[in-house]
Amino acid sequence: MKMFSVSHKTAFVVDHCPYMAESSRQQVECDVLTKSRGQGMIPLAPVSKSLWTCAVECSMEYCRILYDVYPLKKLINYIVSDSEFHILNSWRQEDQSTHELMSALAAVGPPNPQEDPECCSVLHGLVAAVESLCKITEYQHEARTTLMDTADRVANRGRIICLTNAKSDTHVRMLEDCVQETILEQNKMAAGSDRLMSIQQCELVLVHIFPQGEDTLVSDRPKKEVSSLLTSEVHSVRAGRHLATKLNILVQQHFDLASTTITNIPMKEEQHANTSANYDVELLHHRDAHLEFFKSGDLHMAGSTSRDSGLKETVTLKWCTPRTNSVELHYCTGAYRISPTDVNSRPSSCLTNFLLNGRSVLLEQPRKSGSKVISHMLSSHGGEIFLHVLNSTRSTLEDPPSISEGCGGRVTDYRITDFGEFMRENRLTPVPESPDTEASGKPPAERAKAQLERYTRYWPMIISQTTIFNMQAVVPLANLIVKESLSEEDLLTCQKTVYNLVDMERKNDPLPISTVGSRGKGPKRDEQYRIMWNELETLVKTHVAGSERHQRVLDCIIACRSKPPEEEERKKRGRKREDKEDKAEKSINKDSEDKSWQESERLKGALERGKEEQGESEVIKDSPDSPEPLNKKPRLDEIQLPEKAKGPVSLLTMWTNRITVANSRKHQEFAGRISSVNNKAELYQHLKDENGMDLHENGKATR
Amino acid sequence: MPTVVLMDASLSMTRPVSLEQCSEELQRKNLAVAGLTMLFEHMANNYRLEFTSLVAFSSLWELLVPFTRDYNTLQEALSNLEDYDKTCLESALHGVSNVVQQEWGHACPTQVVLVTDGSLGIGKGSLRHSLQTLKGRPEDKKFPLPFPFPAKLFIMCIANAEELQMTDTMHNLEQLLQLNGGDGQIFTMEGQLCLKSVQSMFGRLIDEVYSPFPAVLRCGNLASDVQVFPRPEPVFLDEEIDPMPRHILTDLEIVGFIEIGDISSPPVMSRHLVLPIVVNKEVDDVGPGTTEEPEEETSANQQAGKVPNFCVLLHGSLKVEGMVALVQLGPEWYGMLYSQADSKKKSNLMMSLFEPGPEPLPWLGKVSQLGPISDAAENPYGEDDSKSPFPLQPKIKRSYAQNVTVWIKASGLQTDVQKILRNARKLPEKTQTFYKELNRLRKAALAFGFWELLKGVAELLERECTLLPDTAHPDAAFQLSHAAKQLKLASTGDSQYAAFDQNINPMHTDFSGGGAAGM
Repeated sequence: MKMFSVSHKTAFVVDHCPYMAESSRQQVECDVLTKSRGQGMIPLAPVSKSLWTCAVECSMEYCRILYDVYPLKKLINYIVSDSEFHILNSWRQEDQSTHELMSALAAVGPPNPQEDPECCSVLHGLVAAVESLCKITEYQHEARTTLMDTADRVANRGRIICLTNAKSDTHVRMLEDCVQETILEQNKMAAGSDRLMSIQQCELVLVHIFPQGEDTLVSDRPKKEVSSLLTSEVHSVRAGRHLATKLNILVQQHFDLASTTITNIPMKEEQHANTSANYDVELLHHRDAHLEFFKSGDLHMAGSTSRDSGLKETVTLKWCTPRTNSVELHYCTGAYRISPTDVNSRPSSCLTNFLLNGRSVLLEQPRKSGSKVISHMLSSHGGEIFLHVLNSTRSTLEDPPSISEGCGGRVTDYRITDFGEFMRENRLTPVPESPDTEASGKPPAERAKAQLERYTRYWPMIISQTTIFNMQAVVPLANLIVKESLSEEDLLTCQKTVYNLVDMERKNDPLPISTVGSRGKGPKRDEQYRIMWNELETLVKTHVAGSERHQRVLDCIIACRSKPPEEEERKKRGRKREDKEDKAEKSINKDSEDKSWQESERLKGALERGKEEQGESEVIKDSPDSPEPLNKKPRLDEIQLPEKAKGPVSLLTMWTNRITVANSRKHQEFAGRISSVNNKAELYQHLKDENGMDLHENGKATR
Repeated sequence: MPTVVLMDASLSMTRPVSLEQCSEELQRKNLAVAGLTMLFEHMANNYRLEFTSLVAFSSLWELLVPFTRDYNTLQEALSNLEDYDKTCLESALHGVSNVVQQEWGHACPTQVVLVTDGSLGIGKGSLRHSLQTLKGRPEDKKFPLPFPFPAKLFIMCIANAEELQMTDTMHNLEQLLQLNGGDGQIFTMEGQLCLKSVQSMFGRLIDEVYSPFPAVLRCGNLASDVQVFPRPEPVFLDEEIDPMPRHILTDLEIVGFIEIGDISSPPVMSRHLVLPIVVNKEVDDVGPGTTEEPEEETSANQQAGKVPNFCVLLHGSLKVEGMVALVQLGPEWYGMLYSQADSKKKSNLMMSLFEPGPEPLPWLGKVSQLGPISDAAENPYGEDDSKSPFPLQPKIKRSYAQNVTVWIKASGLQTDVQKILRNARKLPEKTQTFYKELNRLRKAALAFGFWELLKGVAELLERECTLLPDTAHPDAAFQLSHAAKQLKLASTGDSQYAAFDQNINPMHTDFSGGGAAGM
């Protein structure tokens, strides 16, 4: 599809010379007398439109259809010509509306029959049209600037539609020659200018309008090449209805439109509200909506009918009840804007209002065989009606394997509801374009991605992988910590959440800890809290780089979480050493900020499996005092052991071993492991001596 | 994208291959079968959702296997292939065209794999003859190419390039490709005709056309390795301005989420299944050559089923919430992910590709301008999800949404005049509507230069004034004559009275009726 084809620019040149003020001699009776009132009254004489009025209203209809179907990038420049030319609008997109044009036309008014016909000519307008086609449009400009060195790919083509009353075929030829010469002249000028483009192709469409009841002085002529730059065609048409039909056909030809007639539209009768009759409405739209029919040669089967001696074809589609609902996602291969041919007829406006109210209608393609196929759908989106093309053939994706048969398909405890909530929070919304947002750097879509990144720094996918996300009490903190910046109030809420947890711990409230993979009752209460605090820390740690307040949330957790007393002693003994560890850990965290989560994810997976195989060896898990930093990794090492013993090494084992080796370089080996026998060390030997000590002490107080 | 394998079963395919080192005598047909066997095996293992059919041809054509995913059936039919008479490609291509259209319609992109020895017949019915008589054929005897559906033509020659270039065969085949819009490729065998070279030729076809499309689906830090099926095709935009093919990225990044009702059945270029896969990352470290045993593979698959996968989570939530995920496919190119259920209630994660461009759907606006709701001052969805920021309204209303005036048909004009008169008879109650309709008519008449109508309607109003019953409100007469006077003034074209944006306002009268009060 070419963006800058001939139809990118259309210049309308409408003759405004005195002879256009002549009557079209088509009379309209606008005084319709009703029987009851009409007695003895002389009806008003019928009015008749001038050639000018006919030309203007038909050209406006052309524009109306065009703007309905192509609100952007198909531009019209409207020029009126008498003793001079009047350009009514520009190529700019904001000038493209029928209202603008109507307003400008009202200012011009009808031609003045008293004006000297000698000084008036449509030639002024044609020259202006050629000049105008040389002017660059904003789209051409944009394309040229983005293409830079290949800017010459941006073409400049256009069409001139001239509505006039010509004297003779010779007169027509004179007009063509004039356009041809002007193009050559203007192209020379354009070659030396930045704001002008030379014309590569121009289509001249001359429409000769003559009053009813007269014979035409100009003969019809199909498109012919005047030169390599210019083609020309002549249409000789009676004013009134014929002219309207002609321009309707032209707009279809010029912009690749096709016609669909919706039949069997049930509509309440105006007079009898409880009966309904069926109506037809004709719509115009891009012809690709009929692609399937064209290709299959099904056009006639689809109920197409020819009218106006075969010049105009329409495809008939049947209104289909029941209607569709908006939450259904149809497989739709195209959507094309429509324009009703007869926009303010009652059936048309009934249909369009029905759709504009937000309802959709499925359309059925009648087939010879009598079978029914739903092939299209009419639906409005924000005040614009589209004809959707639905796929009605067999799908190549039929019978795919169900997602439950693939990777991860047998896991049953996904956090589906939580992720649903996550999706709602990460819905998109249009952000108005403004210079401010551009200055602030990231476009909205990038900000949306950044938000997704923040929200997923720690996001366990299954329920049994998490404790904190199964706890109502953590929700306020979990919702706030992912924010880009925290307010003082947010910080307070986070801190309150932490205090609340401390409170829960003191009261020994149960935690929703998963018992998947462990036999028996699962971990003891204090161990549960330790797991919970660790997880909370993991979550908050991924955000500490965000702001100082994020850091303060972490500080609060570290300060508040319970520390078993023996750790106190260790601290007293080796505060210095721990400081060092802390720092080391922080740097690790920074190094592997991106990967750490995925890694820990993997490790957790391994942990789960490890547990299964390990069976009763819950000793480690029950321990109240595994060292906190990097506590999972050493544990993993031990879990790996039984796996190692089982014959061929799995890839997972190889991978985790690699990770462990890498990690072991980053920390000091535990004394316990160094002195272990068969990689097992007896833990908490000192407990035997210090039995009976209160294990629950508020960490806050001890610090 | 379904595949049709078009297999040459003419007698020339039985020509033996001259082999020095090989003891067994091989026919070209044997080589072709070997190549296709390799293709079918590959598909069965790595591309098993592809629908393939087998058509054999000589002077006639026959659909041996209709479209199927059962590669055993295809293989079987291939092994039972008989030998027939001479090659007549034109009728065979007609056959392919029919077979595809009957099954898939005209919109489905198809791959045609033609396997031939390159002797394309002699005399009438030969490809040479077909190509020579392309022009001036009657409508019903047109050459089958280009196909009425988008198709890629892959010509697998059981012959080497030199052999084909000695005659005009290569030239004819190239012409055939051109007739298909250049979409496709001619493969020839390199070196001697033997099993090895035929396998290498089909290997090239597999690599280019039938290799799975691996990608990574990301949502922030959550990610999953996936396979996108069928392979997304490169897309050409404006050939004139932007002739480069655009490929989708292998990193599919989710931008955010939108409700199904808001995205509202958008038009898409193609649909693809997004299947989570396990990528063996170790392979890079260990090096190639470690092919797993099938037994291990199944156990690995079972294992993979138990490892949580982001795709499954995403699919589940999209399905439950009735939402889609907007996914970025490339620079200014987007698509959507959603849960698609088939008739058997099996559902899967599906990705639809929008047309490339900054604004694929007018009702969403520019995708780059879609931001997180937290950016908005007030939640655009409302606190209770009662609102939606979509669809976006166009700046200018379409004609059918703004009560335009069209008088092309006489009935349009009559209706508008009657509307004014109807309201005129109900003055002063209908003062508002009366003036609204009057001004609408006035505007259109001024724009169309239809001053005669203004005069006519003025006369009608004056007449209505004389016909007012005695019981009529005194205001009615004032308003009617005021309106008539204003219309007459406008019909002179005097800029003081005929300005387009000016309206005739109701006359302010002392009769404090409903009409005047309503001003």
